[in-house]
This record gives sequence, structure tokens and C-alpha cells, in this order.
Amino acid sequence: MSPATGARILLVDDEPAIVRAVRANLGSRGFRVEVAGSGSEALERAESHPDLILLDLGLPDLDGLDLIRALRGRGRAPIIVLSARGAERDKVRALDLGADDYLTKPFGVEELLARIRVALRHTLQSGTDEPVFRNRGLTVDIEHRRVTVDDEELHLTPTEYALLTALVRHADRVVTDSMLLQEVWGPEYGDEDHYLHVYVARLRKKLEQDPQKPRYIATEPGVGYRLLTEEA
Amino acid sequence: MLAAMGRIAPLRGYAAALAAVVLVSVVIGVIEARAQVANISMLYLMAVLGAATRLGRGPAIAASIASFLAFNWFFVEPTHTLSVGDPKEWFALVLFLVTAVITSQLAADQRDRAREAADRARDATLMFEVARVLGEPDLETALASVTERLRQGLGVAGVMVELEGDGVPRRTIAGDASALDGADVGSLAAWIPSPRSATGAGARWIRVMNAHGTGTAPRDDRVHAAPLQAGGRRIGTLAIVRASPQPRTADDRILTSVATQLAGAIERSRLRQRATEAEILRRTDELKNALLGAVSHDLRTPLASIVASAGSLRQTDVRWTEAERESFLSDIETEARRLSRIVSNLLDLSRMESGTLHPERSWYDVAALIDDVVGRLRPLTQDHPVEVRVPEDFPPVSLDYVEIDQVLSNLIENAARHTRPGSAIVISAQIAGAEAVIEVSDDGPGIPNDALDRVFEPFFRGPSGGTPRGTGLGLAVARGLVEAHGGRISVRNRAEGGAVFRFTLPMEQPARARAPAVTP
Repeated sequence: MSPATGARILLVDDEPAIVRAVRANLGSRGFRVEVAGSGSEALERAESHPDLILLDLGLPDLDGLDLIRALRGRGRAPIIVLSARGAERDKVRALDLGADDYLTKPFGVEELLARIRVALRHTLQSGTDEPVFRNRGLTVDIEHRRVTVDDEELHLTPTEYALLTALVRHADRVVTDSMLLQEVWGPEYGDEDHYLHVYVARLRKKLEQDPQKPRYIATEPGVGYRLLTEEA
Repeated sequence: MLAAMGRIAPLRGYAAALAAVVLVSVVIGVIEARAQVANISMLYLMAVLGAATRLGRGPAIAASIASFLAFNWFFVEPTHTLSVGDPKEWFALVLFLVTAVITSQLAADQRDRAREAADRARDATLMFEVARVLGEPDLETALASVTERLRQGLGVAGVMVELEGDGVPRRTIAGDASALDGADVGSLAAWIPSPRSATGAGARWIRVMNAHGTGTAPRDDRVHAAPLQAGGRRIGTLAIVRASPQPRTADDRILTSVATQLAGAIERSRLRQRATEAEILRRTDELKNALLGAVSHDLRTPLASIVASAGSLRQTDVRWTEAERESFLSDIETEARRLSRIVSNLLDLSRMESGTLHPERSWYDVAALIDDVVGRLRPLTQDHPVEVRVPEDFPPVSLDYVEIDQVLSNLIENAARHTRPGSAIVISAQIAGAEAVIEVSDDGPGIPNDALDRVFEPFFRGPSGGTPRGTGLGLAVARGLVEAHGGRISVRNRAEGGAVFRFTLPMEQPARARAPAVTP
């Protein structure tokens, strides 16, 4: 629970009530918040390299997806997309274009803080690939290709193992269907896309004790999956 | 055969008749050289009969006269003159001529009748086919089929139907109707008397010189047009293009009757469309009214509670305890989330009404989906034991996750809302034939029989027995989403009490058939 105090967050939204609430909450937790009310202003402010960008997809002047493309061309600051329910297609496209995560409006403060923490942590950690991933009873030993849950070894098929390691690499962040397909089957994936969800369901069956309260793999309806850790 | 011979040009018919007479003369000559045969002249009747049945009236009479002259010239003494020595021979010759002419006319009558019968049979078949394809509910498809049938049935180069309507006339063309390119067919047919007029004729031949015919010579196309009339008003034109310059009288008849049938079918289709549009308007109107009703009732309730709670918190003259403050805040949050759900459902419903719902399907494990939904709805169902029954080997089903998630959520929410705390909710899945059947059952009070049919209508609400009111939209949204998947949704009461909501999803074969079980 120790936020990277002083981290600069660029909030791109034109809704005054949301801006007020987010600014107050983040400010009181030591973040420095800058606000851009339009796409063009966002591009201007992004020049000063904020640590994280919160981006509402429905802006008055620029298409949200175009804006992500432009922002990605200017820096690696993580982008968290804010969008309404029912716009799953846009979220997926935003994520595939390089956004790091998303929040569905209306969202709670806890959710917002959790996403920001995860995104900032990943910026700091990028490049350090731990050989063994450990979290709440789940260990994934990349070097020895061993997976255990509560010290009990699991027998995973190569596909299931590949799916799990892909999720581990993006721990706590949402992974879209197409990202998973790319990472597990490579850019030339073909027939497998039909069965991606069936494979993930099998993996979860082996991992989870209570399928209705998944400890490790959460479904993000219409978007993808997320590996849960206790930090988030 | 008859029809084929009938197309022989007139001059060639006469030539063929004369050739037959010459042939018979040679045969008689050969026979006469060997033996005397009585009444050998009868052989000429063969030529006459042949000409009558194959070539028609004119050539038959020509053959009769030629036979008469040839017999006289070659075989009646004195030969090689047209004079006759024996008066008895004169009598025989005249008798022969009369017999030949009468026979030829009888045979020609027969030929005409046979031809007409064949034409009528063809017309009847054609009319039947036209009537059959006009039964097609989609007018465009029906017109395309009718023009093609007509083109084949009449053996013409092209058939065109032009419909006048709002703005530009629309043409449906089968075959080559380039002769009509740029032609104002409507005005071509404009002078044609109405079928109801005294003449009764509804179709006319109109000759159109085609400037860009095939090959080197310009084609001499003919256009035959009949107006399409409905309610005494011209609604279009039916036209055929015949590349050969030979018109056929039978075409007049069939074109007129096809035009009548077509006009009827077009008019019916337009009326149907108008009725559908009226129905859509009516339903949109009903929906709008219902929506206004819902807005005033359902949206105001949570709004009132939010405004009241927020206002209370701002009071400066009252000191709220920490617990009271917390309860106001929690009310604001709960009611705001409820508003959000209502708005979501309204959005889904409007997407359904506008027909912009297109499931994005993929293969999913049904048990995992049900588990996810049940897990997520835990806060709503905490007072109810929830049981999930899905067979171990349940095959993957092709569905849109978000939409079926919504269907299940709405059904489970509905069950939780309308049953007493402690009553069980069971969600089960099984395969029945080519469908996956998913059921959400409860052991609550069930649904009154008179409401069973109406629970899926937007804004329908059952009698509220002290249970919190729903949005009246959840079940309507569920039905829309299931139907967008090609499935059905229904509800029944169990004999032992409680309601069972059941929906089906078609089980398709994976597009690229490969069972996921075999791939590691």
C-alpha cells in the first residue's frame, strides 16, 4: 500500500464531476494530477512525460483509439482506459492498440487505485523477469517448468502451461483474447482461436478450488482474462 | 417437332411442298414404267398431307395444285400437255384436286389444333410456375425468379419488369434486355389500352431498332410490353425482348395473364410492407410510451433516494452519527448502481429494437460461464443457496460471452428477487438434440398462469408480493439476446411449485471441425 508518491498522472476526461472526484481521491493519496479536457490537450500535456495516463474513450474532439495510437507514439507511460459498459469492442481495441488496462464506468475508487498501483508497479518492474512466480499458493517455476498450487504439483498440457505463463507475465493486468492467442500460438494462430476460452476453462478447472470464486484467473467479460495477485 | 417446323420461313415452305410433289412424280414415273397401277395418283395425296401437317395451309394448297398439274402433265394421255383426251379422266382429275384440297385443309386444321394445344400446355406450365414463384415472400427474389422463368419458358432473349414507385423506376432483368437500355418503357406502354377496355388487349408489339447489336449487323429486336395495373393505376411494365422478328400471338395471351398476376403480387407485397411498417411504428410508439412510464417510475425511485441521502448529509443543523452517515452513503451507492443497471438494460433494449444486435460468437465452456456469473452475482444471491448442475463432458457452445452472461444474470437476479430468502436457485445445462438447454429454476411462488405469456414483454411486472421491484426489463432483454443467438426462451411453473426459466442455444459444429480434446 505504498503508492509511488509524487507519481504524475494525466487524467484525460471532459466530465467535470469525474475530474473532481478522481483529482480529489488521487491528490489526497499523494499523486500529482494533471487534467486534459480534450484529445488535443492530452497530446500537448503528454509531451511532459507523465507517469500514467487515465483516458476516457469518449472525448469531444478526437477518437479515443486514434489518441491511444498517438500517445503510444510519444512514450511508454501506462494508459488506463475509462469507458462505458457495452463498449467491450472499443476496450479490446484500445488494449490491443497498446493501452495497459481499463475501467468500466461507473467505477469505484478502490478499483481505480488498484489499477493505478498495478500499472505503476509494472513500469518499474519491466525487464526483470523473475524465474519463479509465487502468489498465494500458486508457484510457476519457469526454469523447471513446474506449476504447484498449495505445494501440490499440477500436470498441465503444453497449451495450458503456455496460457498460464502468458497470464503470469501480465499479472494483475487484463490480457485480451488476441494477446493470449499471439503469445501462446504466435502471430500465425489459426484454428485455435475457436477454442481459446475452452482451454482457459480447463486450466482454471485444474487451478481453482472454487470455480465460482476464482483465486487466480478472473474473466473480464467480452475482453479477456486477468491473473489475480494479492498485491492488487 | 411441330413447333420447330412451324418456324420455317414461308417461302421455304412452298419450296419444300413443290419438292415433295416432284419427288412423288419421280416415284410414280418409276412405278408406271414397270406396271400399271390403278389410281396411282393417290400417291400425290401423301405429298399434300405431308405439306399440310408439316408446312401449313398455304404450302398444302400449293402442293394440291402442283400435284394436279404434274399428274396431268406427266401421266394423263396425251402426256406433256395440259389437255385431256378422255372426259372421264377430266372428272377423275377434278375429283383428285377437290379431295387434295379438302384433305389438306383438314390436316392443316389438325396441325393448328395440335400446335395450339402444345402452346396452351406450355402456357399452363409457365403460369403455374409463375404463380408458384410469386408466392415467395420477398418481392425482389420473386421478380428475379419470374423474369427468368418467363425468359426460359417463352424462349426469348430477355425479360424485364419495371416498377414505378417513388422516384426512379426499378428494373428487374433476366437475360439480355439491352434493347431497352435507356428506353422509357413506361411511356412505350403508355398508349396501350387498359385490360379493362373493350378491346381487352393488354399487350402490343413495339419494334425497337437496337443501335448496338451484337456482331456487325444491328439486331432487329422486338419489344413486347404489357402494363402492370393495380387498382386502376399503372404500377409498372412487363416487357419481353425477342431477338427474332417473328411475333407469336400466344405471347400476347400469356404476357397479359402474367402481367395481371404480377401486378397482384406486387400490390400484395406493397400492402404487406406497409402493414409491417405500420406495425413497427405502432410498436415503437408503445415502447416509447412504456419507456416514458418506466422513466417516471423506475428512474425516479433511486434518484429520489439519492437526492434525499445527499441532502441529508449536507444538513448543517443535524449531527449524524457515523453509522447514519455510512447508511446514507451506502444508499447513494446502491441506488446509483441500480440506476446504472436500468440504463444498461434500456440501452440493450434499444439496441434490440433497432436490430443492431450481432452476437460475437466464440466457443465457451458453459460450466465456466455459469460459475463466473454465479460468482459475480454472489452479493445479490447471498440469501439463497445456488446450485449449478452441468455434466462433466458438456461440449463447448458457440456464444457471445457478454450477452449470455447478461441473460443468465437477468434470470438469476429475477429468481433471487421473486423468491423468499432461503429458497434455492438451481442452474442446470443439458444437451437436447442439436441444442444446449440451460434452465434457471427456483422454488418460489411461481408465475400466475395468465402472466406466463407476458413476462418477457418489456415493462411487464408480475404482482409484487412485497418483493423489491425490478426494472421490468431484465426478462425482455434476456429474450432479445437469446433470440439474437437463434435460440428460444420460455418459462413454466413446476408442479411442485416454483418457476423454471429455460433458454436454448443452437449447438453448431465448430467451423473447422476439430475437437479441442485432441489438441494438447
